[in-house]
Amino acid sequence: MQLLNKSEEIGEMAGGKEVTMMTMAEFAKLSRERADSYLRYNIDAKDTVDRQALPNRFIVRVGKIGLAKMIASEVIQYWGKWDVIFSRPCTYGVFSGPVGGFSPRPEMCVGCLRCTVQHPDFVKVEHNPARVALGDTYLNSNIISTIDEEARKGTVPVRGQGYRGRFGGPGWDEMFTDMSEIVRPSRDGIHGRELISTIVDIGSKPMSLKFDDEGNLVSEGPNLISIQVPFVFDAPPSGILTPRLATIWKDAAEQIDTLAMIPANMVSSNGLASRSVVPIISASNAVGADSFKSGTRMVELERWDSEAFKAACSANSDLIVGVRLPFDPGWQQQFEDMIEAGVSVIHFIADNHGKGDGGRFIMGMLLEAHEMLIAAGIRDKITLLNSGGVVAADHLPKAIICGLDAVGLEQPLLVAIQARLSGDLSSRDNYRAKLPRKFNDSWAIQRIVNLSCSWRDQMLEILGAMGIREVRRLRGEVGRAMWCSRLEAEAFAEIDGFMGGGE
Amino acid sequence: MSMSKKHVKPSESLLQKTTHLMHEGMDGHAFGEFEMPPALGDARWTDELILSTWYMGATGKVPDHLNYKTGKSDGGFDRLDFKFVMEDEWLGHNEEIDTSIPLNRRGDERANLSLPIPIYGGGMSYGSVSVNVMLARAHNAKKWKTYISTGEGGYPEELYDLKEHVITQVATGYFGVEERSIQASPIIEFKYAQGAKPGLGGHLLATKAGEEVAKMRGSVPFVSLFSPFPFHSTYSVEDHSKHIDWIQTVNPDALISVKVSTPHDVDMVAVGSHYAGAHIIHLDGGFGGTGAAPEIAKKNIAMPIELAIPKVHKFLIKEGIRDKVTLIASGGIRTADDIAKAILLGADGVVLGTSDLVAMGCTRCSNCEGGPSGRGCPWGLTTTDVELQEWIQQEWAVKRLDNYYTALQWRLCDILRKLGLSDVKELVGRTDLLRYVGGDN
Repeated sequence: MQLLNKSEEIGEMAGGKEVTMMTMAEFAKLSRERADSYLRYNIDAKDTVDRQALPNRFIVRVGKIGLAKMIASEVIQYWGKWDVIFSRPCTYGVFSGPVGGFSPRPEMCVGCLRCTVQHPDFVKVEHNPARVALGDTYLNSNIISTIDEEARKGTVPVRGQGYRGRFGGPGWDEMFTDMSEIVRPSRDGIHGRELISTIVDIGSKPMSLKFDDEGNLVSEGPNLISIQVPFVFDAPPSGILTPRLATIWKDAAEQIDTLAMIPANMVSSNGLASRSVVPIISASNAVGADSFKSGTRMVELERWDSEAFKAACSANSDLIVGVRLPFDPGWQQQFEDMIEAGVSVIHFIADNHGKGDGGRFIMGMLLEAHEMLIAAGIRDKITLLNSGGVVAADHLPKAIICGLDAVGLEQPLLVAIQARLSGDLSSRDNYRAKLPRKFNDSWAIQRIVNLSCSWRDQMLEILGAMGIREVRRLRGEVGRAMWCSRLEAEAFAEIDGFMGGGE
Repeated sequence: MSMSKKHVKPSESLLQKTTHLMHEGMDGHAFGEFEMPPALGDARWTDELILSTWYMGATGKVPDHLNYKTGKSDGGFDRLDFKFVMEDEWLGHNEEIDTSIPLNRRGDERANLSLPIPIYGGGMSYGSVSVNVMLARAHNAKKWKTYISTGEGGYPEELYDLKEHVITQVATGYFGVEERSIQASPIIEFKYAQGAKPGLGGHLLATKAGEEVAKMRGSVPFVSLFSPFPFHSTYSVEDHSKHIDWIQTVNPDALISVKVSTPHDVDMVAVGSHYAGAHIIHLDGGFGGTGAAPEIAKKNIAMPIELAIPKVHKFLIKEGIRDKVTLIASGGIRTADDIAKAILLGADGVVLGTSDLVAMGCTRCSNCEGGPSGRGCPWGLTTTDVELQEWIQQEWAVKRLDNYYTALQWRLCDILRKLGLSDVKELVGRTDLLRYVGGDN
C-alpha cells in the first residue's frame, strides 16, 4: 500500500490533527467525506397552486344548437361507433366536462384552434380581453402570464415554435445577446455538470493592495456581501408594503441567499432585521444605522446626502452603506459626488418602465454610469444596482451587460404572488396591488423562490450560450451583445429608403 | 390529465371523420368562407399569412384575398419591398425563368448537386415530428428534386426508399447517427447550433421520447433527451475539419453542409467552415422554428436572419470566396417574398421548416413540445402519439406540400419577372433591387 507524505492539506482534512502517514484508502475516505460535505447552491423550486388565478387566455364560445345538431347527425351517421361519436377535436379537455361541449372548460384551452377550424359554424375561440388587459404596455399581459408560470413551476418556460413578436426594439428588445458556436461550459453548465456561478458581490473591492516593508497588508481589504443570484428584492410602494409582505420578502431573500430592501421603520417595528435585510434609512435617521442587529450587513440611504452618508458610515464601519439615486435629470453630477464621497453601492432608481432623465431608457443610462466608472479606473470599487424596468427574465442579463452588478426586483415579485396591479404602473409609488384574498405566507415565499429559480436558470441559459462561467464576468460585457439598430444599419445601409435602424 | 388514458390508433371511421372535418375546415377558412379565427396568428405569422399558406397548400396558387407576402413584425423582411421595373418591362409568362441553384461550388471531386428551386427542407427529427410528416416532406422533396434533413433523431427505415433526397444531420448528441445513413445521404449536415435556441443544444421532452423514438435514438423511453452544446469534439476550425474528414472516409461523395446560428462573428464562422471543407454554409437565424426551446432563447440570443445574411455575404466577398460557397438561409422565412428578399440580401437559397408545417395545418399554437396534454400537436404534426399522428395522412400531406411549393415557385418567378430577371442566381446580393419601407407597408 502506497503511503502518502505529510501535507498541510491532509492535516487540514483530518480536522487539524497532525497526520504523518496515511494510507491511500484513508486518504480516499477523507476526500470522499470532504466532497460529500460540499453542497452546490440550489434553489428548491416546488409546484404551487393558484390563489388568484389569471383570467383564462381564451374565451371558448360553443353554440348549443349547433353542437346538438352535430351530435344528432353523428349519432345517426355513426350509430354504434362510439369512438367516433364521442370524439372531439380537443386534446386538452375543453369539451370533456360532464356535459361535454355544452359546458366548455376554457381554462384548459391552449389556443390550438382545431375546434374552431373544424366547426366554425358553432365554435369560436377568442383572446380573453380580461387577460389581454392585464398590466400595461410595459409589464404587459404576456410578461405577466410568463411570470405567473415561472412562479407556479419554478422552471424555465419551454415551448415549441419560434418567436412570435416584433422584429426589434423598443427597450430591452433592442438588444440581442451573443453566443459562440464552439465554447464550454454551455449545456454542461446548464445541467449542473459544470459550475456556472451566479454569485455577485455587493460592496467595494480595493483596486490594489498595499503592504509594508515586512510584507504585512496595510490597506483595507474588500468589504463585500456575496449573494447567490444577481438580483435583490426591492420594497414595493408604501401603499402596498405591509409588515406581512415585508416578512415574505425577507424570508424569500433568506431562502435563496439574496437581499431584501425594506424601509427602516418597518424593519424596526416588526423585528425584521436579518443578514438578508437591507434597511432603507432616511437622512435624518442615518446615525441610527447601527441600530439594526441580527446580522444586518448593509443599509441604504433613501437619497443622497453627504452628511447623512458620513453619519451612517461612522455609526458602524463594518456596515456597507448604499445610496439610492433616482435617474432624474442631472443624476450624473450626484453620481460623481457620491463616487467622490466614497459610496460603494449606488442603487439607481428608474421608473417601472425603465425610464428616467427626461424619458431616457435605462439601457443607455446604465452604460453611461458603467463607462464613467471605467474611465475613472474604479469600476470594481463600486457596485451598481438598479430598480425599475426589469420585469422579465431576459431583461436581467441584458441589464447586467449594460453594467449592473445586480438588479432590484419589485413588480415581478408582486405578480409572482398573483397580485393584480392597477393604476399608473410606470410610477414607483402611484400604483395599487390587490393581493389574493387568502394565501399562506409559505405559499407566497415559495412563489418568489420559484420565480428566482426560473430566472436564475434562464440566466444560466444565456451564460451557457455565451460560454461564460460566471455572471460577474457578464457585467458590462457589451462585446457579448448586439444592438438591433446597429446591425440594421450595417445590413441595410445600401438599401433605398433605409433611414437608420431601430427606433 | 389525458395522459392517464391509453390512446390507440384511430379506427377507419374516426380517421375519416376527423381528417374530413380538419381538411374541410382548413379549406373553408383559407377560401374565405368563414370568419377569420380571431385568435389566429401573431406579428410574425399573421392570420393572413397562415390562411394564405393553407390556401396555397390547397390550390397551388397564391390567394388574391389575403396578404401572402409579409407579416407585421415591423422590421426585417416585413419592411423590405421590391423595386420592380415598369410594368411594360416585366418579362412575359411565356419566358423561361430559371430557379435552380448549384450546391457544390467548390469544384471538387464530390457530387455536382443542384436544386431546381432554391429551397430545401430543414431538419425536423423523428420524435419532434411524426414519421408521417417526415415521409410526406421527403416525398415532396423527391417530387421537387430537392432535399429534407433528418434533424437529429435518426433515419427511419422508411426513408431509405427516398435516400437520394434525404440529408443526414449529424448534431451534437449524435442521436441516431449511423454509418449506414451517412453512406446513404448525398449531403451530410453538421448542426452546430439552431436559430431558435443558439448555444443551447437540442431538447426533446420526455413525453415525446416514446419507445420508437427512444429506439431510434438509442435512449431510454420517456426520458428527456438533451443534445449537448457544443460538439464536445470540436473547439476549433481544425477540429471541425477532422469531422469533415471523418465523413469523407465514410462517404466520399457527400457534400458537407454546416448549419450554424447567427452570433456576432457569424461571418468568420462561415469563412472558417469553408476552409474546413464545407460546401454549404447554412445560417439559421434567431426567429427560427423549433419543437421545443426555452422561451428566453427565442429572439434574445443571436441575430435575425435578415441581418446575418448580408453580413456573411459581404464578408465572403471580401475574403474572395463568395463564389466557392453555397450560402443557405433559414430561421423565419415564411413566404416566397421572404425567399426572394433573403436571396437579394446575399443568400443563394433557403431552408424551410415551419412553413411546411403551416401548409399542413399548423396554427403555431406553440404546443409542439407536448403541451398540457403531454401528447404533442393536436393537428398531428409535431407528435408521435399513436392517435394524433394519424391525422396527417401521407398522401394528403404530400399533395399539400406539392401545391405549396408550386405556389412558392410561381410567386418567386413572378417576382423575377417583375424585376426583369430570368434567373434566380441573378438576384444574389442585389440589395439595389430592394426598398426599405417605413410604417405600415
